Amino acid sequence: MTMKDNDRIKDVVRKNLDVRASDRTYNRMRRIVLDAHEQSKQKLSATRLTIARRAIMKSPIVKLAVAAVIIAVLGIGIVEFLGTGGTSGVVWAEVAQKVETSRGVICRGRDVVMDSRDGEPDYNYTMNYLSNTKSRYDSYKGDQIIKTFYDDYNTKTVVFIDHGHKSYIKKTFEEMEQNDIWWRDPKSLVQRFLSHEHRELGQKTIEGVLCEGIETTDPAFDETNSNFTVDSLKARLWVSVETGYPVLLEFEVTRTLGDNEKVHIKAVMDQFQWDVELDESIFEPNIPADYMRIPMP
Amino acid sequence: MPGWCEPEMIEDEVLKWKFKLGSREALSRIYEKYVNNLLSLAVGLLNDPHEAEDVVQDVFVSFAKRAGSLRLKGSLKAYLAKSIVNGARERLRRGRAAQRRMSRYAAVPANPGEIDQPLVYSERCERLSRALAKLPYEQREAVLLKVKQDMTLKQIARLQGVSVSTAHGRYRYGLEKLRALLDSEI
Repeated sequence: MTMKDNDRIKDVVRKNLDVRASDRTYNRMRRIVLDAHEQSKQKLSATRLTIARRAIMKSPIVKLAVAAVIIAVLGIGIVEFLGTGGTSGVVWAEVAQKVETSRGVICRGRDVVMDSRDGEPDYNYTMNYLSNTKSRYDSYKGDQIIKTFYDDYNTKTVVFIDHGHKSYIKKTFEEMEQNDIWWRDPKSLVQRFLSHEHRELGQKTIEGVLCEGIETTDPAFDETNSNFTVDSLKARLWVSVETGYPVLLEFEVTRTLGDNEKVHIKAVMDQFQWDVELDESIFEPNIPADYMRIPMP
Repeated sequence: MPGWCEPEMIEDEVLKWKFKLGSREALSRIYEKYVNNLLSLAVGLLNDPHEAEDVVQDVFVSFAKRAGSLRLKGSLKAYLAKSIVNGARERLRRGRAAQRRMSRYAAVPANPGEIDQPLVYSERCERLSRALAKLPYEQREAVLLKVKQDMTLKQIARLQGVSVSTAHGRYRYGLEKLRALLDSEI
């Protein structure tokens, strides 16, 4: 077949394979699609609760209450999976307490594998900065920042900057419908481990640091909204025996979405710096003057 | 120049972004922008307007429900096309499309005002769809994704789970066979 034949057939396919919905079909289908969207938004209230819960956990009063509960649990020894016995060098309830009272945290997050039709992540890794009332997430491709999120728990606002398109969005927590926000917060992640059934993994040296690990396979660990179910899950938390702070978080899950699509995610969080004093200025959204604000309807 | 610099791609990036944040307006625009393109692809894959309409509706409904969980990083157009391909494969696996081919469907007018038919297409389109249906499915998919959806051979190879050279072969043989089929009808 010559190039000319080739081009002719391609032209025929491009032009002749032209199907349109009739007005009636177009409008009927559009209504069904928008109704589905509306119903889905209502179901997402669980996600909002997750965000609200994290905001509540930032409150000093709630923190004191959490600390009191942890101390009580330690004293009474009622939860065997907290792992205070045996030869363990790590007291897991103390890890939760240390993490909760850490002034600021810096860490790196990476999606190692993500098999789904959504495609590969457009970033290589994310640097996360968290203080008690604010957080910031810089997504990098190579050495270039491509996106930045800022969360402010005092004003309950989120700023999302897309550096690639020189634009940004400002929203309130109530308007956010984003799941997976828990994954960005190592503090809530440790709490998540301790509040789900898990087992001890023993000791292992990670990049020269002697660690102890716990593992959960509880699907509820990842069930943050009604848009998917969890088929299988394995999440591991490794904590330094010496410092009692997390060193590595490993997370692997297979989800089934509403349309039976399987999504496989494997991610890690590492390079932790705990209890650091973070300058307030890093949490101030730095929006260049030529960036366009995208209005939300 | 990278693809995302094109105005259409920039619009898609903004739509994706707004949609993920819950915008009904963005979803409405995505539907408006792609519904007919996806119907054309689905008809080309299935040669059955009823099944094509069902697949497209299912894809959009599923997409609409995923606003909060969508992790879409690549092209919106390619994502939707892949969803149609998955839906079409599922329909074909179930064998429903085989039961009711386009030729058995009621005659369809080119003018949407004439008769109230759910989908509107020309006789040339119907002829092309019949010819496409005679291609082995993998070849049909490769031709439609490359020519109609502007996907790269690498993207097609990934979607079909084969090497790029196999995808290229399927595309090339598909085009050749399609030409022979269409020419023989003249």
